[in-house]
Amino acid sequence: MNDTPDHSGVPDDDLLAAEFVLGVLAGTERAAAQRLFERDRNFAALVAQWEQRLAPWAGEIAEVAPPPAIWDRIAAALPAERPRSAGWWHSLAFWRGLSLATGALAAACIGALIYLGNAPQQAPLVAAIEGGGHRAFVATIDRKHGTIAVLPASYTADATRDPELWLIPADGKPRPLGMLRADRAVSITIPPELVAQTVGNATLAVSLEPPGGSPTGQPTGPVIATGKLTSL
Amino acid sequence: MDLDANRSLIVTALARIPGGDRAALQTVYRLTSAKLFGVALRILGERSEAEDVLQEVYVTVWRKAADFDTGRASPMTWLIAIARNRAIDRLRATRQSRHMDRMDIASDVADSAPLADKALESAQDHARLHGCLDGLEPRERAALRGAFFDGNTYEDLAARMKVPLGTMKSWIRRAMIKLKSCLEQ
Repeated sequence: MNDTPDHSGVPDDDLLAAEFVLGVLAGTERAAAQRLFERDRNFAALVAQWEQRLAPWAGEIAEVAPPPAIWDRIAAALPAERPRSAGWWHSLAFWRGLSLATGALAAACIGALIYLGNAPQQAPLVAAIEGGGHRAFVATIDRKHGTIAVLPASYTADATRDPELWLIPADGKPRPLGMLRADRAVSITIPPELVAQTVGNATLAVSLEPPGGSPTGQPTGPVIATGKLTSL
Repeated sequence: MDLDANRSLIVTALARIPGGDRAALQTVYRLTSAKLFGVALRILGERSEAEDVLQEVYVTVWRKAADFDTGRASPMTWLIAIARNRAIDRLRATRQSRHMDRMDIASDVADSAPLADKALESAQDHARLHGCLDGLEPRERAALRGAFFDGNTYEDLAARMKVPLGTMKSWIRRAMIKLKSCLEQ
């Protein structure tokens, strides 16, 4: 990477994205680019731009029908189907499907559900908590009852750590709100001293912490996703 | 098939996958597997390996469908990127270097190959990319093609075109910068 210092003003990240998409990297360089692609949404966006630029080239590659048995192999490799008895509100599939809609639409749907259910005095606040190009969680705040509902979207459970939710108000200092779940929505009561700071433009963040939560009261693990609260 | 109809069928089916809809994955498979198998086969050169990769690709699509961002990419671009990535990973894992024989052909031919799949991207995008590729030096164009279509690494390309590794890196990086700037005009 150091043998061509002059890149004509093109940032190194953009060149790395180009090399990754073109496929010229190997070994640790390719593995590093792959990790960056999975974890850094800015880099993932650069990769997507290069994929788009080179996409017409793929049009030249002839289609070849795969053998029919391949579909059976794929179907067999999928995880077992989930039971569907839990009801749509608790169904991860429902919320994942919902979060796939545009952020505004998903937020509007959730907001409308809460609005119809509670008829709050104030408009609900919502946040799409995103990181690494994924919408990890969707949060809605019911200010009348002082609760926050957080739904997993594309968050995948970590093997050893649990997701913890933080409020970062205007002073920039994270305050712990509670632990989240990968497999279902959780409802958290906002501590009374934080209710006044749970307002539009405050940030919600999710970090990975030891089971039970951060031992220090501040995030100790990586912050994997963030999102700003906005009024509907 | 009509481009827009096909695209919207794929997008609609992708959107149903995160809900656990296997029929939706099968729809995506039906509409796209011939293209993705072609891509994997081109890079790997062996049917049995391309079949393994194709299976991995659709299991990945099953897991990652929620990541697909309609605002950012066409569904085929997204799927082809997954297929190329998986095929390149397989290629890297199974052998040191190969596909050296194809470089001779590529190095002499201007980049005006016919569009095999008109439904994939608009003819206009295709013409634009090829206009920009034709503006590169033949050796730069040959190196890019050898990487994109056949999965050659910097080392493979340097060996095949008999230049030092640093020179090959410079060629490719300069070519990609030129390509980007030309496409943005």
